[in-house]
Amino acid sequence: MTRRRSDARAGAAHGLRIARVLLSTQYATMLEYRAEIVLWALSGVLPLIMLGVWSGAEASGGPAATGGLSAQALGRYFLSAFVVRQFTIVWVIHSFEEDTLAGRLSPYLLQPLAPVWRYVSAHLAEQVTRLPFVLAMLALVFLIHPAVAWLPSPPRLLAALVAIPMAFALRFAIQWILTMLCFWTERAAALERLMYIPYLFLSGLVAPLEAYPEGVRAFALATPFPWMVHFPAQLLAGAEVPVGRGFAALLLWTLVLVPIGWSGWKLGMRRHSALGA
Amino acid sequence: MAMIRALGLGKTFRVADKQPGLAGTLRHFVQRRHRDVPAVRDVSFSVEPGEVVGFLGPNGAGKTTTLKMLTGLIHPSSGSVEVAGFRPQRRQVDFLRRITLVMGNKQQLIWDLPPLDSLRVNAAVYGIDDAEAQRRIRDLAEMLELGEELRRPVRKLSLGQRMKAELLAALLHRPSVLFLDEPTLGLDVNAQARVRSFLAEYNRRYGATLLLTSHYMADITALCPRVLLIHQGSLMHDGSLAELTNRLAPCREVRLELREPLPASTFAAYGTLEDLQGRAVRLLVRRERLTASVARLLAELPVVDLEVAEPPIEELIGQLFRREPAR
Amino acid sequence: MGGPRGAARLLLRFWSASLAAEMEYGVNAAVELLSVLGNLAGSLFVLSLFFRHGHDLGGWSWDQALVVLGIYTLLDGLTSTLLQPNLGALVTHVQKGTLDFVLLKPVDSQFWLSLRIVSPWGLPGVAVGLVLMAVGVVRAGTPPSLPGLALALVVLVAASLLLYSLWFVLAATSIWFVKVWNATEVLRATLVAGRYPISAYPAGLRVLFTFVLPVAFLTTVPAETLLGKASAPAVLAGLLVAGLALGASRLFWIFALRFYTSASS
Repeated sequence: MTRRRSDARAGAAHGLRIARVLLSTQYATMLEYRAEIVLWALSGVLPLIMLGVWSGAEASGGPAATGGLSAQALGRYFLSAFVVRQFTIVWVIHSFEEDTLAGRLSPYLLQPLAPVWRYVSAHLAEQVTRLPFVLAMLALVFLIHPAVAWLPSPPRLLAALVAIPMAFALRFAIQWILTMLCFWTERAAALERLMYIPYLFLSGLVAPLEAYPEGVRAFALATPFPWMVHFPAQLLAGAEVPVGRGFAALLLWTLVLVPIGWSGWKLGMRRHSALGA
Repeated sequence: MAMIRALGLGKTFRVADKQPGLAGTLRHFVQRRHRDVPAVRDVSFSVEPGEVVGFLGPNGAGKTTTLKMLTGLIHPSSGSVEVAGFRPQRRQVDFLRRITLVMGNKQQLIWDLPPLDSLRVNAAVYGIDDAEAQRRIRDLAEMLELGEELRRPVRKLSLGQRMKAELLAALLHRPSVLFLDEPTLGLDVNAQARVRSFLAEYNRRYGATLLLTSHYMADITALCPRVLLIHQGSLMHDGSLAELTNRLAPCREVRLELREPLPASTFAAYGTLEDLQGRAVRLLVRRERLTASVARLLAELPVVDLEVAEPPIEELIGQLFRREPAR
Repeated sequence: MGGPRGAARLLLRFWSASLAAEMEYGVNAAVELLSVLGNLAGSLFVLSLFFRHGHDLGGWSWDQALVVLGIYTLLDGLTSTLLQPNLGALVTHVQKGTLDFVLLKPVDSQFWLSLRIVSPWGLPGVAVGLVLMAVGVVRAGTPPSLPGLALALVVLVAASLLLYSLWFVLAATSIWFVKVWNATEVLRATLVAGRYPISAYPAGLRVLFTFVLPVAFLTTVPAETLLGKASAPAVLAGLLVAGLALGASRLFWIFALRFYTSASS
């Protein structure tokens, strides 16, 4: 009994050490790419462009034209959506595909660590690298446009800080499932592009869900997409949101999708070991 | 107890049978046809701890497939493998800690960081504590003659330095079985020699078992007292390189320079005349009669110079593969 | 290059070869088609959100806004067909040092690098864009006269050349900055602004999208020309900007080549 407990403690310490070393190494790698990361961050301007169009619509038609959101609420929503998107970007399918083609997967498989953790740590390290730049961009927007500046209440900020990593986990799980298709088809990345379309239009990245017609909104809420952008963004923006339902949806979808991704990995490994690649 | 044991090992790949061109693509889309292609068939051998074994064969002979089965990356279609007492395809952590795979054409070091960062990751992954890792890095770096290169980003290293760093990373957990697939690929002669002597030293110092493939016969002759020759998926030879040479080439070539030209009939008593050009003569002599023939040649003919040539092994193997009809 | 006919023959060779290479992938065709249709449905849906309460979008009716969206879709398809594959290859050429081979060929290097490859997967976008434009123009009830149509065509070509110049200049900076490909992602992401008429934006962004990033000349001005609501200065400015950008891309390429030191590794 005692032995098992000390084994568990040693296992946890080992896991923590791997996490620490992987994260710090990945962070060092990402720092080498900081120029690229700034550009990637800049290429996430879509919510800001959409903010432009929606503010234009609000200016000419009033809040009625924007599903009841005032100019200020619109500004906060899209800025929050921008931040949420920055910290939920997932590209594992591309790295995985590249690693498979370059033959890096085989050496990874021969090490006593499941390869998925390398990708997770790369994403987390990239988010840390991105953070100062995103803050600078926000500061710039607030400077130009002080009217939209706001400080979320501490409970809301805390809730958002929990919801954003959860949204990231969900998005990662979805893409990981598609990534596992790499074992069967060379076109898995194309499927990811298809998956991006409902994500783009249903997540709230291009329009606040409040502006959707009732039927479309109900449909969207039944999918995992709005919980990955709209929900954390509205938390951050301080708008009225069903907090309990949002967290429940995030948790539920993750709990459903992670096991699928796990079995996908198991099946993929079986296929890989039959074919070699 | 054998370190590596393969028994009747076989692997068959199923490949799509597709005609070239757009029409072929469409037809394949509708009606899929597959063909089973055996890559490795009925290969059996066993390697004792501490042995260094060379794995020979032309491209596509099944060398890499066999290595991948031995490391557990792919599952055999038939037969069984055991490495260090484990079944590789189960990929148990204790097995993974005992082996390593080095591929000359693929790299695992993080491209944009110095090798030391990759080593740090490996140390954590294999659970080697920092002080021990430091010690091992120092020892291995010394053996590899690596110094401040370990602090420079991998992308700035030369191919030879990079390969040495790859070796260091692959050996940090001090595996007892090393699988090396073309570890000297593309390296210049000096770097090849350095890698070779390192591997020999590692084998000697830690008693590790090495199984390596190489296109460079120099690697094999320098490192491997024993070779496995695989051709079209089957094991054709298991024994020393000298035995292989003898099997492939029962004759030696004797080159003579004479004081004066002699008629061709003179040489029949010593061996088979291959070439006669004035005072230069080339004879083929069977190995078992070589000493006697050379002694008689020197005693009985006006010889200015005599040379016995070893037939080049690459050429012999090449000949063998050409002679062997496709099955 | 052997004159325009020689160039045309060369292009035919390039393109048939790259088409044959791409057609191998039947799944790609299906995926691309689905993706174009999905994006179309999504864009129309979002556009419709602005008209839910009967309001116009920056003074543009639904049908007129369709023309803008159509031109955007057309240019985006053109980007996928020609700009992205070719200029992506340019970046790779610089990285791998194979630009040497291109520079040693007896063909104008900018021509070769810009039009060497054609990818069929952007063509559905081009087709959908054309249909949207036609539907919008017909439904808006202001069909252009023949000279008006010719002028619109000229303005559209000018917009395409402007887009090309932006991409080419960005790709050419790979001579200095090796990993420039992400910058083209930024360009593509910001050009999304061209989905909507420029007047839909607040004043500050309007200035930005006209003078800094000329989105206005890419979609709004051609749409205005097609709908017969363009002012002469706007059309003239559009043509002028395109001409200047094209010339600038040429000069920039010549300038950049002076700094090209073929990659060693």
